[in-house]
Amino acid sequence: MAFIKRRVLRSAEIPTASQADLAFLLLLFFLVSTVIDVDTGIGMTLPEYVEDVETVEISKDRMASVLINESGDVLLDGQPISLFQITAALKPRIQSKLDQPKNKKLIVSIKTDRKTVYNAYIQALDQVKLAFFEVRDEYSNSKFGRRYIDLDETEQNEMKEAVPIIISIAEPEKVVK
Amino acid sequence: MKFEKRRATIKQEIPTTSMPDIVFMLLMFFMIVTTLREVTVLVDFSLPEAKALEKIENKRLVNYLWVGKGDKIQISDSFAKLEDIQSIMYAKRQALPNIIISLRIDRNADMGLITDIQQELRKAFCLRINYSANVKI
Repeated sequence: MAFIKRRVLRSAEIPTASQADLAFLLLLFFLVSTVIDVDTGIGMTLPEYVEDVETVEISKDRMASVLINESGDVLLDGQPISLFQITAALKPRIQSKLDQPKNKKLIVSIKTDRKTVYNAYIQALDQVKLAFFEVRDEYSNSKFGRRYIDLDETEQNEMKEAVPIIISIAEPEKVVK
Repeated sequence: MKFEKRRATIKQEIPTTSMPDIVFMLLMFFMIVTTLREVTVLVDFSLPEAKALEKIENKRLVNYLWVGKGDKIQISDSFAKLEDIQSIMYAKRQALPNIIISLRIDRNADMGLITDIQQELRKAFCLRINYSANVKI
């Protein structure tokens, strides 16, 4: 046991006082270089490309066509309408088709001129999407008592069945002059 | 002077040994969240504003396509011509099957060009797109 007694206890420690400083430096670097730019936008799914487009007749009742001309004027089913009324005009039409089967739901078609400003198109698309979202929210509120985003996945899918967002971007037409 | 005598002799220090741990946790958070910007945007654009926005859930799937003032198109690090979009995007789609194309388009661009780009994207089978927009308050 004498062996143990003779051992000299040297304190061999790495000084950790500056560790916090180092960590702070690194932290600062990442804080500064972080760009938390949340990517937000309006999601769409394009249709597949086919050479010969088959045209299918769709009943007027099922279709809502939004036309935007080059100066930003909007026609909804042939009637001139202000951009910000699109949501209000579409909502009752979507709601009236809630109980219909999937192939009878409302289709919104958006068509623009080649000279239309992109912003006008986005505003119109936004209004249309907003109409669908609001209908979804109201329907889920009446059915589940919660808003659409608070629903769980199966319930959300049920909502998507009931209120599918069908937006058609019109095929570009060949201009014959 | 009686007061001084009665003062407690307990050390009053906040233990700082765990501070590095806390800082490291913060550091970890920021390291994970950080996406270092890998491309330099060469075009000049201002995004439109909209209300009905969705967040892109998965950043790894996103590829950007810029359209700036003067109808300049940029993909990745360089300018692209309209005719090249199809081949570039098709290659990207091969690498990443469920790719999302985020279209960052200047608000004053013409729809004609946008329709052309969309046609090219359709030919390249890049069907999931996202019109990038800022939140309108």
